[in-house]
Amino acid sequence: MKYVDEFRNADLARAVSAEISALAEPGRHYKIMEVCGGHTHTIYRHGIKDLLPDQVELVHGPGCPVCVLPMGRVDEGISIAERPEVIFTCFGDMMRVPGSRGNLLEVKAEGADIRMVYSPLDALRIARENPDREVVFYAIGFETTAPSTALTLQRAKKEDIENFTVFCNHVTIVPPVRALLDSPDLRLDAFIGPGHVSTVIGCRPYEFMPADYGKPCVVAGFEPLDLMQSILMLMRQLDEGRCEVENQYGRAVLWEGNLQALKAMSEVFELRPYFEWRGLGFIAQSALKLSASYADFDAELRYSTPGVRVADPKACQCGEVLKGVLKPPECKVFGTACTPERPLGALMVSSEGACAAYYNFGRKSFEKVEIGSRR
Amino acid sequence: MTMQDELASLGNCTLENDGCITCSDAGIPVRVVSIEGDDAICEDAAGNRAEIAVELVAPARMGEVLLTHGGVAIGKIVAETQT
Repeated sequence: MKYVDEFRNADLARAVSAEISALAEPGRHYKIMEVCGGHTHTIYRHGIKDLLPDQVELVHGPGCPVCVLPMGRVDEGISIAERPEVIFTCFGDMMRVPGSRGNLLEVKAEGADIRMVYSPLDALRIARENPDREVVFYAIGFETTAPSTALTLQRAKKEDIENFTVFCNHVTIVPPVRALLDSPDLRLDAFIGPGHVSTVIGCRPYEFMPADYGKPCVVAGFEPLDLMQSILMLMRQLDEGRCEVENQYGRAVLWEGNLQALKAMSEVFELRPYFEWRGLGFIAQSALKLSASYADFDAELRYSTPGVRVADPKACQCGEVLKGVLKPPECKVFGTACTPERPLGALMVSSEGACAAYYNFGRKSFEKVEIGSRR
Repeated sequence: MTMQDELASLGNCTLENDGCITCSDAGIPVRVVSIEGDDAICEDAAGNRAEIAVELVAPARMGEVLLTHGGVAIGKIVAETQT
């Protein structure tokens, strides 16, 4: 199967690269944040950084749900998974995220019934097949994933399945971006908006970026040329003095989003008053919990999770990397005490995490020299 | 252009190689090959098939290209020309 197609056309990429270089003013530094971890992965996998002029710097944002999950929520998931009556289900990467006393894989090795699923619907099927057990799904993800959980819960309710609950850790993308824009640590010029989150929520939620903060945003797809074109669109806005939300990913994103998905989410979820984000602290109305009409399916209520806060290991600088203040190789333990095989921090676990992307595809020695020389 | 080439032209993800499933932004373009109730059998660019829930993109039609995430279709994909 060949994947070489118009989204990876080298001649076109070179042409776009040349146009971006032509627009970059000498002496001006452009800081563009890619909000989504999927974009971070594409940027490093395909060496997009090498196609950009020195003046254009890409800053990695908080858009990897594994990476932003605080350790306390991992520990609470583990405490549910250890209950003998429970079959605990979660996505694959979640199994390796370190809690304060190990990860789910280690708890599974000690005998807990923990199963990896590819869809919350798989977790519901396990509940149907095991009526004498309690099946819990560890739900994480931004607005791309939340509709899948919502639809699964709608089906569970319709079928009156009583042995299925969800430990809900769904988060929303706009509040952390607003928190970053309010942060004095970081000066950003523009944003690459998350493509598949926007398939669900549309482009309108980003209008606060130009309106309130004077920052342009382009919603982008995930192929290398999608990203190159999005960076070009942002550079054109900055060059022409325009500041607006544009949609590069028109083949999958409607301006108004997916109204059916949004309706399902609004029926099943409600906003939490606040939620803790790794590296960003508590952010108001930034996460979802099950609504009152779905309380019977809420694992937090069924198992009375206490809501503990656990500090990150002292050596771990995931928070600074998540905020874009540090580049991954600048972390004290990057590539030494913290590797994809033995991750200390969540950013090294997920393939979308900035540290794992750097580790797998980045040019570590080059990055260190470059960062050192910039100080 | 074959149907599978057309799917590949919409993006690189397949049901086998979809990036990070945990990540909120892994999405796979698939084509609907049969529909039964709220579920559809869909095929990706590499020919892999999977059962996908289609309530959130109803009405799904045979031959349409859907964007799937975690076993659920979250959008429809419309081909467009890159500039």
